[in-house]
Amino acid sequence: MRITTIALANLKRRKGKAAFLTIGIAIGIGTAVALLSLSSSIKEEIGSQLDRFGANIVVVPQSNSLSLDYGGLSVSSVSFDVKQLKNEDANSVLDIPFRNRISNVSPKLLGAVGVNGREVLLVGVDFESELTLKRWWHVAGRTPEGPQELLAGYEVARALSLIEPAAPSAEQHVSHGGSHDSSEDQFQFKIINDRIMIADREHRVAGVISQTGGPEDGMIFGSLAHVQSLLNKPGQLSLIEVSALCKDCPIGDIVAQIAERIPHAKVSAIQQSVRARSETVERLTRFSAVVSAVVLAIGALMIFTTMMGSVIERTKEIGVLRAIGFRRTHIIKGLMIEVAVISLLGGLLGWAAGLLASWIALPYFAETRVVFEFQPLLAIVAIAAGLIIGTISSFYPIVRASRLDPSEAVRYV
Amino acid sequence: MAFLSIESVSKTYEANGNSPGVRVLSDVSVEIAEGDFVCLMGPSGSGKSTLLTIIGAMNHPSEGRVLVDEIDVYGLTDERRADFRREYLGFVFQQHHLMPYLNTIENAMLPLATTTLSAKEKRNRAIDVLEKVGLADKASRLPNQLSGGEQGRLAIARAIVNEPPLILADEPTGSLDTKTGRDVMEVFLKLNAQGQTVFMVTHNPENSALAHRIINIVDGRIV
Repeated sequence: MRITTIALANLKRRKGKAAFLTIGIAIGIGTAVALLSLSSSIKEEIGSQLDRFGANIVVVPQSNSLSLDYGGLSVSSVSFDVKQLKNEDANSVLDIPFRNRISNVSPKLLGAVGVNGREVLLVGVDFESELTLKRWWHVAGRTPEGPQELLAGYEVARALSLIEPAAPSAEQHVSHGGSHDSSEDQFQFKIINDRIMIADREHRVAGVISQTGGPEDGMIFGSLAHVQSLLNKPGQLSLIEVSALCKDCPIGDIVAQIAERIPHAKVSAIQQSVRARSETVERLTRFSAVVSAVVLAIGALMIFTTMMGSVIERTKEIGVLRAIGFRRTHIIKGLMIEVAVISLLGGLLGWAAGLLASWIALPYFAETRVVFEFQPLLAIVAIAAGLIIGTISSFYPIVRASRLDPSEAVRYV
Repeated sequence: MAFLSIESVSKTYEANGNSPGVRVLSDVSVEIAEGDFVCLMGPSGSGKSTLLTIIGAMNHPSEGRVLVDEIDVYGLTDERRADFRREYLGFVFQQHHLMPYLNTIENAMLPLATTTLSAKEKRNRAIDVLEKVGLADKASRLPNQLSGGEQGRLAIARAIVNEPPLILADEPTGSLDTKTGRDVMEVFLKLNAQGQTVFMVTHNPENSALAHRIINIVDGRIV
């Protein structure tokens, strides 16, 4: 017979009340765990989705030479510029210490060419990385496969009479392949002519990018090596677009590391994009923290009122224990053991319930799915939080019980 | 030298809100020798229970002092007074106040829960006292599985398990029938015969007739 024996026996006797308190703590902890798991998963998804929305770092040659406009950025275009970017520079980006934060490197060469008597901006790209970077592109037709195959922007295709408006019926939709294509996509045009002449060589337009309202509408894209050959700029680049996974990465450090690796280039972070990402993620985190805090505060209040009621209900019992020689510290210890058992159980249940809830709820909020794996740290934090909340909210009622004057208690004895 | 000495004890409950202050004990002085069996008698509201709780180190007197074995009970700190209760006193309450969630043997060893005795020693002591009160064969029963008399005897077992020199009882037979009440009184007599001092509050003349000494109290004064 020890104080622990008495505390555990008391819990067994008051199963209903103990269960109520346990559930209260479990709901509080479960909500916090679920919200944190959800927000963490959603943060991951938002981060990766935002990262998919194009580059957040642009590398251009250090030059004041004549430039062409590409999406609002000035890029050098003429061959007499002594500071040219090379193919090797694109590879250098992946040599920086923060290379694991780089999700995509897309080198480009830009140049003006005559097509069917019109001046058109021809862009040499690596299609695989370019299409990964430009997730919002919808390509009618398919992705170019050989050096003679091109991808045309909507406005260029229209100006060169490569497309014509299509009636909105399923039979007339142009089927298209490639990583961006979907059989359910619908285009308001169909390709009627896929042959164009550039530098006296026939090329095939494999696909047309549906209208984006961006600079790509006025461009034709070809494979990098082929465009370098057409523009007579072998191994040269006009710019390198870099996408860094920047939910919480030090974009400034990445920029500095790239600049150090390619000293003849000007490296710029597209700050607006980075700021928007951080702000979105920050807001989500703050929202989850506030909701969790509110739910936990409500749980704590519930424990406080239940414990106050329990102490009043047990005045006689506490009085008897004091009468037979229990010290205040013994009373505190006994009640603390009860609270600790309830809190630990509540924390454990809350952790499990929170994970389960987030697993069930996540598909409604995000496309990703939580993979059930034992995360010792989360479990420890959840259980510790349950213990802390249970203890803090019971502290006053327990101290009050211990201060119960035996002479008050003996009025019931 | 008296084992228990109550010196000029008075008790006034302070006025509280609309309730006026009440003086329940006035200048009470009593001396009780070790091994004595004393019954305190008096009408309801005469201050019997208040005097008992003052002797029991639970109710601070407004004036005067209580000495047990030369220890000034109310000169002790609150925590030391709790230790004093555990080491010197055994309480038997009228309603027994057993812990309903502990079985017979656990109830009997409750005062030992805070001691440093080994689990085996605590158990042995509890078995001993249960044998003394005739409940050894019902050690695993819960209080609600015991009769009124058995509950009374279990309350006595709990009071004596820590071998206190002074047993305080507040109408221990008040809630029992005559036969069961006599059984309980026999236990008190046996304990007293073994040397323990008994101070009992009672209304029952049959019980008081068994005591060595009867103290009467009326309106807070010893008469």
